[in-house]
Amino acid sequence: MKTNLSDLIAALPQEEDGPELLSSIEAQERLQAIFADLAYKPVPVHSLHRMWTMGELSTQVALAYASLWIRGLFADAKKKERQAIETNLRVALKMIHRLGYLRGAAIKLGQAFGSLPELLPSQVVSTLDMLHAQAPPMHYSLIREVFRSELDHDPSDLFETFDKEPFAAASIGQVHRATLKAGEEVAVKIQYPGIGRAMQADLRNLMALIFPIRLSKSAATIKGQVEAMRDMLEQEMDYVQEARNMREAYALFAAADGIVVPKVFSEYSTSRVLTSEFIPGLNLTQFLAANPSQEQRDEFGRKISLVWERMYYAHTSYADPHSGNYVFMSDGRLGLLDFGCIQRFSPDDMRICELGEKYIDGRMTIEEMLLDSGQYAKSDIANEKYIAPLRRHMEWLTAPLLQEGPFEFGDPEFFKQGIDTLKEMVERVYPATSMYLYFFRSMFGLRVLSYRLKCRVDMGALRRQERKAWV
Amino acid sequence: MLDAIAVVVAFYERARIMRITTEAKTATRERIIKVAAKLFAKKGWDNTTTRGIAAAAGIANGTLFNYFDSKEAIVAELISEALAQAQQEIQKRDDETLEEELFTFIWTELSSLREYRKFLAQAAETILSPLRRYAQESAGESIRTNHLEAVEQILVGHGMAAPSVVTMQLYWTLYLGVFAHWATDDSPKQEDTLALLDQSLKLFVAALPRGAGIHENESE
Repeated sequence: MKTNLSDLIAALPQEEDGPELLSSIEAQERLQAIFADLAYKPVPVHSLHRMWTMGELSTQVALAYASLWIRGLFADAKKKERQAIETNLRVALKMIHRLGYLRGAAIKLGQAFGSLPELLPSQVVSTLDMLHAQAPPMHYSLIREVFRSELDHDPSDLFETFDKEPFAAASIGQVHRATLKAGEEVAVKIQYPGIGRAMQADLRNLMALIFPIRLSKSAATIKGQVEAMRDMLEQEMDYVQEARNMREAYALFAAADGIVVPKVFSEYSTSRVLTSEFIPGLNLTQFLAANPSQEQRDEFGRKISLVWERMYYAHTSYADPHSGNYVFMSDGRLGLLDFGCIQRFSPDDMRICELGEKYIDGRMTIEEMLLDSGQYAKSDIANEKYIAPLRRHMEWLTAPLLQEGPFEFGDPEFFKQGIDTLKEMVERVYPATSMYLYFFRSMFGLRVLSYRLKCRVDMGALRRQERKAWV
Repeated sequence: MLDAIAVVVAFYERARIMRITTEAKTATRERIIKVAAKLFAKKGWDNTTTRGIAAAAGIANGTLFNYFDSKEAIVAELISEALAQAQQEIQKRDDETLEEELFTFIWTELSSLREYRKFLAQAAETILSPLRRYAQESAGESIRTNHLEAVEQILVGHGMAAPSVVTMQLYWTLYLGVFAHWATDDSPKQEDTLALLDQSLKLFVAALPRGAGIHENESE
């Protein structure tokens, strides 16, 4: 599937009053050249090139979004300031260009700012969530050195068996199968040396370049979002934190729920190595290829939503629900992988959640909710042209919860509505707390999954059940 | 008869003295290396003189020159000993690729030098500089030769008939880059060098001439 990059760039909203800046043909071409080059430039590691090509499309889209975001920074700068800003922008773009395997950070940046699927035909959605591996592959000798420095022993000393070949790629490392001396089958996730710190440095540099020059009112919002993302990246890099997330999630589910959160083996885990129970089963693509019955789809779909709702009412969000994080087990249970991306709600976030609850319960209108959030002026809310796209998207997000009986998530019309309303929304700048970034990404990821599963789930009933148990 | 006994006794006595002398010499040599390592670490490479080393070792300045020509020679000996020790520690696996074997070889060597890292950056500027490679008297020459011989053996072990001068020079250039990075790397446990070494070796192996018997066996 080839996309035309100029189409993508052209699809980005144009600036109305700044033709001399990035909307000028010269600047457009420059931007385009940088992004095209970036998307196709092979990383000087041959085995990585393959993975990279697989992600070409998503990379381009993500980077197009990154450019949209950077352009958003100029929305209301004065003409006088623009020249200085443009110089900084050029440096910033060069910097993105120089990110090595840490282009993952740029991609995450793009993804986070644009909940990707909106620009894409629906069949492309299925390839999107495959983009995850950005770290170079590690051979066994390198893994052994990581083990020596992390756990003071070779894998062959620590484990009964240890597969030298990885069985899965993690976003910043890879996963190996092993057997403990006590006999348990485990999955061992190992982080590529130094990658976390390098990604942090990239983000820091990028922020340092961009934020001192920003003068518009939307800057605080964007800065908050980037900071939230940086915090989340930091969390993802720290496997000790992930192990903690897993233990907390483990405690949320009972055997009757049919949800499996892997057990963590702390004595074989550090901030760079995470050893947890191996969960056998199929991934989403394999599950769908086996032609599951509608009942099976519905049941897995219900479990995926159950996980999200249960964690939500425990004041956390499973913030990265892409298909690679779910295991479809043969006995019907749902396995969860990857707890690196768990958002914990702050008191402010909780207040926003409360408002959302009131709206879903019919005790508040969207306008009242936005006003109460304290981020919108009355005049903004009265401006129908401004507020309508936001309202439409929120209605789309909450529709399944408000319907009586099972909701048909496989309906292509409904899915398209979500993409259309999101696209409308991205074209405007709305104030939002940093929480929205992960919340919306997470909700959208859930919708993409449910759409692919073509499941029917009674979301209203599920919500009532979960809310009762946890609030 | 008595004379004969006297000759035998004198012979053994001389042998005993010579043995003591050799042992004493070895001990002095070891003491100089040990004391020098301490001084380099404490005062830095540039601030340490042979005079200072001799004083700390409790020998006359002139005596030191009976053992080593220069402080470069001392540090070269120090490195050589650590590297020889490292060679003993490497456990070869049957299923290692060329890249992995080189990786293990280099990283084991660097690990054996870890305690000297602080002053090696400066010392290496003198003794391992590629700009001095034709100077046969250079103290680092034997380190370079030994290292490259070991690498050549590894290459040959993976089916490369005779690595060319260009190949070996390319290797040495990359190696010095990694070495320099390692010597000044302040990331936790030098993890950045681990990544740099990994990717440098990928580059090196990818640059090896095709048909060398390497790509065919190990590309997948």
